[in-house]
Amino acid sequence: MKPARDQRVQRGVAVTVIRNFTMAGIATAVCAAAFFPLAHQLKAQEEKRPVFRIKVDMVVLSFTVTDSKGRYINGLKPKDFRILEDGIPQKIATFAEGNRPPLQVMEDGSTKPLVTEGDIKSGPEARADAFVGTNVFVLFDTSNYMYRGFVYASDAIADFVRGLDRADSVAIYTYSRNLNRAATLTRERNDAIIGLRKAVAGDDSALYNCLLLTLRDAAKVPGRKVVIVFSNGPDNASMVAPDDVRAVAEDEGIPIYVISTNEVNKDPISSGVFRRITQRTGGKSYFAKTWQKQVEAFESIREDLGNSYTITYYPQPNPNEGFRKISVEIVSDVAKKYRVRARPGYRPRGGF
Amino acid sequence: MTAFRSVLVITLGMAAGAVGQDYARRAQELEYKGDAAQARELLMRAVQENSNDVAALRAYAEFLDEHRDPGARAAYERLLAADHGGDRVNVARRLVILDLLAGDRASAAQHLEAYRAAGGAGLSMPPATNHKSAERQTISIPGPLRSFARMAALSPDLAPEDLLPALARNIVTNGYQAGSGNEGLEQTEYLKLIVRYLSQARELEKLAGAEHTIKIATCESEATGELLRVLGYRMRGGCGADLVLETVNATRAFLTIDSGFPLAELEQALRTNRPFVYDYHPTQIPILYGVDYWQSAREKATGEFIDYFISDPPMCRLYLGLAKLDPITADAIRKTTPAPRLKAYAHVLDFFGGMFQIRDGKAVVPGSPRSDKAWAELAGVGPDKGAAFFEKLITRDDGWLASYFDALLRINGPVRDYLTEPERMKRFYAAIRGKVTSPGPARPVFRSNTDMMLLTTRLRLDPNGKPHVPGNIQVWKDLFITHPHGKYDGKLTKSAAGWKDPDDVLEALFALCRKAVENEPLKMFMAVSDVERRRSKPLEPGTVARLIRDYRSLGAQYVIFGDVPSVSDQSIVMFLDVAQETMQMRDQLLKSDTAGTVQALVSIWEILCRQGAISASDADATLASILSPFTKIRRERELFDAGRNGVNVILKAAGAPANASPQDAMMDLIAGAVHASDTETATQVVQDMVRIFEAQRLISLGTLFDLADNLEKVAAGAKLDPALVKKLSSRIAEIQPPRASLTTVERNSLAFGYWAEKHIDNERKVNIQAAIEKAGSDAEKLRDVRGLLAPFLRDTLVAFNYAHYAPPGAQVLQTNPVFVRSHDFLGLQGIAQTWKNTELFGSGWPANAGGRLVGSLVGLPYALAEAEQNFLVPSREQALIWGDLVPQMLVTATVPRWWHVTPSQLHWVNLHMAYGEAVLAQAALDSKMRENALAVLELHAPPARVRKIQSLVEQGDVREALENVTPAEMFAMAAHLCENDATSMLAAEIRQRAKESPRELNYAAISRAFGTPKPTLTNSYAPELLNIRTFPTLMGYSSRIMAESWESNLLYYAALADEIHIPPSQLNVMIPSWTQQTVEKIFATHLEDWPALLRSLRMVGDDARQKARRQLAGAAAGAGE
Repeated sequence: MKPARDQRVQRGVAVTVIRNFTMAGIATAVCAAAFFPLAHQLKAQEEKRPVFRIKVDMVVLSFTVTDSKGRYINGLKPKDFRILEDGIPQKIATFAEGNRPPLQVMEDGSTKPLVTEGDIKSGPEARADAFVGTNVFVLFDTSNYMYRGFVYASDAIADFVRGLDRADSVAIYTYSRNLNRAATLTRERNDAIIGLRKAVAGDDSALYNCLLLTLRDAAKVPGRKVVIVFSNGPDNASMVAPDDVRAVAEDEGIPIYVISTNEVNKDPISSGVFRRITQRTGGKSYFAKTWQKQVEAFESIREDLGNSYTITYYPQPNPNEGFRKISVEIVSDVAKKYRVRARPGYRPRGGF
Repeated sequence: MTAFRSVLVITLGMAAGAVGQDYARRAQELEYKGDAAQARELLMRAVQENSNDVAALRAYAEFLDEHRDPGARAAYERLLAADHGGDRVNVARRLVILDLLAGDRASAAQHLEAYRAAGGAGLSMPPATNHKSAERQTISIPGPLRSFARMAALSPDLAPEDLLPALARNIVTNGYQAGSGNEGLEQTEYLKLIVRYLSQARELEKLAGAEHTIKIATCESEATGELLRVLGYRMRGGCGADLVLETVNATRAFLTIDSGFPLAELEQALRTNRPFVYDYHPTQIPILYGVDYWQSAREKATGEFIDYFISDPPMCRLYLGLAKLDPITADAIRKTTPAPRLKAYAHVLDFFGGMFQIRDGKAVVPGSPRSDKAWAELAGVGPDKGAAFFEKLITRDDGWLASYFDALLRINGPVRDYLTEPERMKRFYAAIRGKVTSPGPARPVFRSNTDMMLLTTRLRLDPNGKPHVPGNIQVWKDLFITHPHGKYDGKLTKSAAGWKDPDDVLEALFALCRKAVENEPLKMFMAVSDVERRRSKPLEPGTVARLIRDYRSLGAQYVIFGDVPSVSDQSIVMFLDVAQETMQMRDQLLKSDTAGTVQALVSIWEILCRQGAISASDADATLASILSPFTKIRRERELFDAGRNGVNVILKAAGAPANASPQDAMMDLIAGAVHASDTETATQVVQDMVRIFEAQRLISLGTLFDLADNLEKVAAGAKLDPALVKKLSSRIAEIQPPRASLTTVERNSLAFGYWAEKHIDNERKVNIQAAIEKAGSDAEKLRDVRGLLAPFLRDTLVAFNYAHYAPPGAQVLQTNPVFVRSHDFLGLQGIAQTWKNTELFGSGWPANAGGRLVGSLVGLPYALAEAEQNFLVPSREQALIWGDLVPQMLVTATVPRWWHVTPSQLHWVNLHMAYGEAVLAQAALDSKMRENALAVLELHAPPARVRKIQSLVEQGDVREALENVTPAEMFAMAAHLCENDATSMLAAEIRQRAKESPRELNYAAISRAFGTPKPTLTNSYAPELLNIRTFPTLMGYSSRIMAESWESNLLYYAALADEIHIPPSQLNVMIPSWTQQTVEKIFATHLEDWPALLRSLRMVGDDARQKARRQLAGAAAGAGE
């Protein structure tokens, strides 16, 4: 058997099991006087115990279905979809449309509510309704780049927050060189707006650093979530690249929407990056220089959230530890003309 | 309290029951074993079970007291009530001190009575005057302070008297810029916004009326429209639930939001048709000397003071300068020198006035009284004239004399005595002054006399009393005469031929401090001096000459020799040879891999030497064995073998068993987890490192070496192991980039050099199977195939370093899977960065593969911290103190490890803190103690702060006085005073403990354990305490020095850990976490806002204490059930 940490360095799959070894090793390590207590303890434990490798990561997949004119198609059922991961058919565990409560999909394809009315009414603290509504993280650029349009942007975001579905939760984060959690996830619109209105303008822009931190926060929240970036575009202080941030969003299943207050042709590279990041995470990008356009962009995002489908599944055995391609197929003949917008895939979670 | 407790246990044992003594003994044993929490519990139980047992009560009270537990007062109270013996006097005295520390003056007075009643004498309560209510003049600023502070970038935590100086500093540094098209200054956007805000605030003040309250009764009221107009908003939708406030005037609306006006609350009130009430009282801010000093009657008639103040940057600078002086000195100077004259030299006063001090009418000068006459000659007026001396000092030579004065006054001890010898002092000043004094050192926005301060602070004297000159005089003469790097100064080149004495070299170095350009000889002098500082034997002159010759290309690496003083001259030269050899390599990929591999190995060696895993006696031989094969690298196969040899040499030197997995063994060694008794913490540290390894998709040493062995067998005719090849290829597949956000065209249009990409690209193309097939049956070619593994080995070795120095959070390392691989050992084309300091490149370039590190690995801890600092999330809306301070704070948490720290060491530090606090409290009651304490503080803190502490102590406000003393100053003061303090039980305990464990409880050991790394100041990452004054903000590279001079964090955390009974091993996890929290809580106004850092540090401490007490209460409740 290979050394414990060698194995962890090689592949991420065995990690959870080995961590159990580590914890089990602690009890006996105190009396061991061997030279490398950790390495030896880990190895000794590994040799004694059977190894069960189980992956229990659930995949959350949100997508929209539109017709040839871009109109949302509603009312589809779980049986209308076929989900493939690297070509391997997946079994849908839950299904939800828009902000409606999710349904559990049974073996025979029938559905039953996952959350009862009582759960929904029990308030945000109970979080029994964690899978109802969307957790919306708004990331607002307050850097020097946004100086001129700061107040209009603030108004547009406030409007957006007010117009969110009752079931949705919203967090307001602002960023310049650092992230600021102006209002943590809440269903109280007024709390979110108070946080928004306390934003301070100025400093460099580290968009991708802060987008990464926002995604990390969002990833901790159960249920459906999206990140909406409201930015002027440029970044002069980030250490991480858009690719890496996008990979995190893909893996966590978090669509990114971007509203850029810059014109497309003013900063084509940032615009190109925005387009690709949003497309590949299942979101959308908008280029809205005026306040009116910004309001329209938010309206469009709200529609997207209200008209999307969210399914979850537990991946079938798949040897691919790299990028797994997801395809959503509509099985109904009538629906074959429809267009599905979803993230293209993800990497299974490695590490610990 | 070994001494204290054991003595008391014996003496009181006669009167008290044996139960208490037994508990005390058992508790002491537990505490010595490092289980303070159990000891506390035991003593608490003893008190609960034997409430009248004096010995038990005493042991419990003293235990709490030693650990600075707030429960100590109550415990002493019970003891005082129960104890009717002869020790009541000491208990009562201790209670008085604890009462003052807790700010409870009434109890202190009561206990002082008890003290006197028990026969105590010599202490008296200070007169009860409230310094806060003392009459002082104020100015008015419209609107609430919070709003003004947001607009002016001031921390709302500032003390009232610090507001105007902080504003003045911001105006001086950020308020004005050179105008376009004319010579005048124009306002920056920062200042324009303040001006606009003041205008808006005055309009709001009018609306607030005489009651100073903005009131909107209902949505429809007339006042609503007017308020919204001033705020720059209007209503959309009618009054009621649909109402929304939207921007109508962007300029006004911006001010509304930016100043923190409660717009959302107003909107909510209008929507629900409820009254809106907002307190809008103007803010009163204290002003030095009153408005009359700053404005004439005519000027006062033109408007409010605040407008006048921000429109006059020289006045702001004078205000700032005077605010830095201690009040008595400032008062004397302003009375002697008219304001317009002072204003003309405000810049000199601002930079160098902070150390000015007039005592008994005389100026305090460095080297007094011996140097008084020399100062009189230099300034033109004698120090006995007090204020007149300082007036001359600031006006002399464009500020050069004041700068020299400041540099000398900041140091203490034999070096100051040496430099202030009158003739020498005048000689060196003549060198500094030169013939032309313009431009002066106070001309720029930040100080430019860095080199002079460095020279005076870091100079060492040899046992013969002469300054230490590395090598010999000839080496330095050669530098100035043959000047291998180009001429420094024509005059010095001429004079160097006649140098005979160390003072000749020193004079040249002082002379070069004047140069605006980089002072290379001084840097060489410092770097080589620092290499020699901890060596048992000085370097050979030949080695010094070589170090000087190679300084420009390899000087950054000298930190390594400073860190490991047992390295021999031969090994130093071998290192320089290897580095030079590498620089000559023409194959850029081989060069990059060689540099990466050798640097990574040397850096691992350095870490293990620092951690004690490689003993001082083995360090040199180990380095020589690592370097030896690198002297003749010609191809990748040789490089792989050299790298593998280095790993084996390191593992052997660190005592790893031959059959251990190299990956596991190296990981445990790097984590410092070998022999760790606290396996839980050790596991956590190792797991954090493994997580980084995993995120970076690296290949383990085991796999690489197994594959290399298999390839060797293949060359001998065996078959290739497909499982090993698969392991490698699956890992290579993981570093294939996912689809890029940018097209190639976009990347190329924005990104800089792509050497790092070439390294990664080549790795991606590696195909062992194909290489073997290509080699056919040629055994030599088959052996060469293992050269393909050399780049992977480089990455793995480099990654050990990255993982070891990973800052808290390590977002970059967790997110960018090729961050380690993209370390660029070559640098930009045309700039040889292979052996230069580590630098951060590419941040804020969305087009490339994220930021990366460039250069050697020598500055890796700092560069990684720099890369990570923007990921920290300030807990408040503004955080203005980042830049150089935060990376240095992170380095302080990532370079040292605390596996070898003992519980006794933590307790010893905490005892010093407790004793230091007791000294200040006693200083309130005892004038002699006050005199002693202030005399020590003067060695560390600027005069203005010492006077403030004095004033607070004299008024009995000990709590506030403590807020003004940094943990490093407290520790230094305690260390200084405890030796001869016969009255304090805490001092006795400190001495007794040191006597019992002299090897672990001494100041050198504490310096190693809780000192901070100072790579810029001391050319070494070896943690140490220098006990120097904090440096001011300096220009250029030396701005890092300011952060490095802050030595308080680790001492504070050490005392905290003892206080809440955290075992030392857990510091390896807790200190990075506490440091991150400390940074995130900082809310500072400017770079030198140390009080803000101190506040943040204390907030983190309070949080930790609360958490620990909750746990303790929870545990007690659990036990009770």
